[in-house]
Amino acid sequence: VTPIERFAALAAGRPLDRLPCVPIVGNTAARVLGVRTAEIRRSGELLARAHTAAYRRFGYDVVRVFTDLYVQAEAMGAKVRVPEDETAYLQKPAIANAHEVDRLLPADPGKDGCLPAHREAVARVVDDLGDEAVVTAAVTGPFTNASFLVGAETLARLALREPAVVRHLCEISLETALRWADAILDAGASPSITDPMLSSTVVSPRQFREFGLPYLERLVTHIRGRGKAVTLHICGKTRPVWALMADTGADCLSIDNEASLTEAKAAVGKRVCLMGNVPPVAVLFESDPAGVRQAVRTCVREGGDNPRGLVVASGCSLPTETPFANIDAMVRAVDEIGWPLRVTEASA
Amino acid sequence: MRRAGDLFEREEYFIPELLICSDAMYAGLRVLQPHLPSGSAERKKGIVVIGVVEGDTHDIGKNLVKIMLETAGFEVVDLGRDVPPAIFVERAEFAGAHIIGLSTLMTTTMGAMSEVIRLLDEKRARSRIRVMVGGGPVSQQFANRIGADGYAANASGAVAVATRLRQAPAESRVP
Repeated sequence: VTPIERFAALAAGRPLDRLPCVPIVGNTAARVLGVRTAEIRRSGELLARAHTAAYRRFGYDVVRVFTDLYVQAEAMGAKVRVPEDETAYLQKPAIANAHEVDRLLPADPGKDGCLPAHREAVARVVDDLGDEAVVTAAVTGPFTNASFLVGAETLARLALREPAVVRHLCEISLETALRWADAILDAGASPSITDPMLSSTVVSPRQFREFGLPYLERLVTHIRGRGKAVTLHICGKTRPVWALMADTGADCLSIDNEASLTEAKAAVGKRVCLMGNVPPVAVLFESDPAGVRQAVRTCVREGGDNPRGLVVASGCSLPTETPFANIDAMVRAVDEIGWPLRVTEASA
Repeated sequence: MRRAGDLFEREEYFIPELLICSDAMYAGLRVLQPHLPSGSAERKKGIVVIGVVEGDTHDIGKNLVKIMLETAGFEVVDLGRDVPPAIFVERAEFAGAHIIGLSTLMTTTMGAMSEVIRLLDEKRARSRIRVMVGGGPVSQQFANRIGADGYAANASGAVAVATRLRQAPAESRVP
């Protein structure tokens, strides 16, 4: 059974061999290939080879071409620091304050920043794995991208003081996201959206409605209009905004371990597939295979009977140095649970 | 500001509201400060040196902790973000700090937190300068493992931890 067949069965409510399993591998892919993280960020060929190698090594279901959330903002002028062998981080927003917004232009995936390299990577992975695995590439949501353009704290203040500026930043970020999504779709893959700044750890549900929903709705509608299902991931607390996340039109909501699958299932399980939420740090990074197995079983006990299905995933992208044995254990635990789901300890 | 912190904890206020309230507080303080007796007891609950560890620039969490600590009467020396471990120690000794507060949102930088503790150990300064840690990937478990004196899950928790660290004497430490 290929991952594509598995997802098709899940979507149609048909029996499967096991639930789809997605340890969200990002820079860990560099470790599988034995190259440095900065190398996969700048080389389309290496990025593709790393993710293809990681997929073959672990046997999970979704290949997500991803290094960090900054690639779109960088292509619009933000400065990103890229350590040779650690995850990149934002060094300086694209503009210093709200008065400079007119300087910003949407990015061109054909030439700006490392978008061309990442586009090449997506096309190569689709060539290699497209007929068996679900191939996706990360799109940073408009509000989160806006935070990289002007700085997170500035954006938070502007949300209350100058909402029109925030809307402008979201609009221009949406245009970049749409272009990047189109590039991913043209390469034959599915854009998957991540918008962590919309977490209820950061902004209120009212602010989500104002600065998140309208832009995400347009982005999701566009991608679905081109025939691909959309996953929306938001880290941190999300319970207050699950209904709004479903209102974006997303097919699948990916939630963090700070949110409960049991509650999400009750709240929006009839509307959307759920994806989550094995703790990426406390379990997958820091625990051992036995701990991973327990956490996977808890996850499936909570969300396995979600009406629109469950994808067993990590709550967020995995730390680069996540032990391979733990990723193996995650896939093995989902295998062991099988289908129909066997999660009571007596049968283990 | 304390009230704003309560509302934040109850999820009625979020980060934008908290930041706006703190702007108002600091604007008020700038007006009042010249008229307050210098070194009043209220500002002397302790000195905290705080920063985001090297390899990360996510600093909203650190800034919220700073705001809540200052609200509670601590003096805070803010080293900003992407701060190398040695700088934390150097600046804490220079400021005569009682506490170092370390923040990160990235797992890649968690090693730098234990490096700060190692440097303090080397200088035999652990009983003078206590260490508290926080941020997305950090947990109580992690704090215990690296030998930090305190962990808090959020900004108001950080005030409670800092207050406790100032009241309780350093426990004798078994390596």
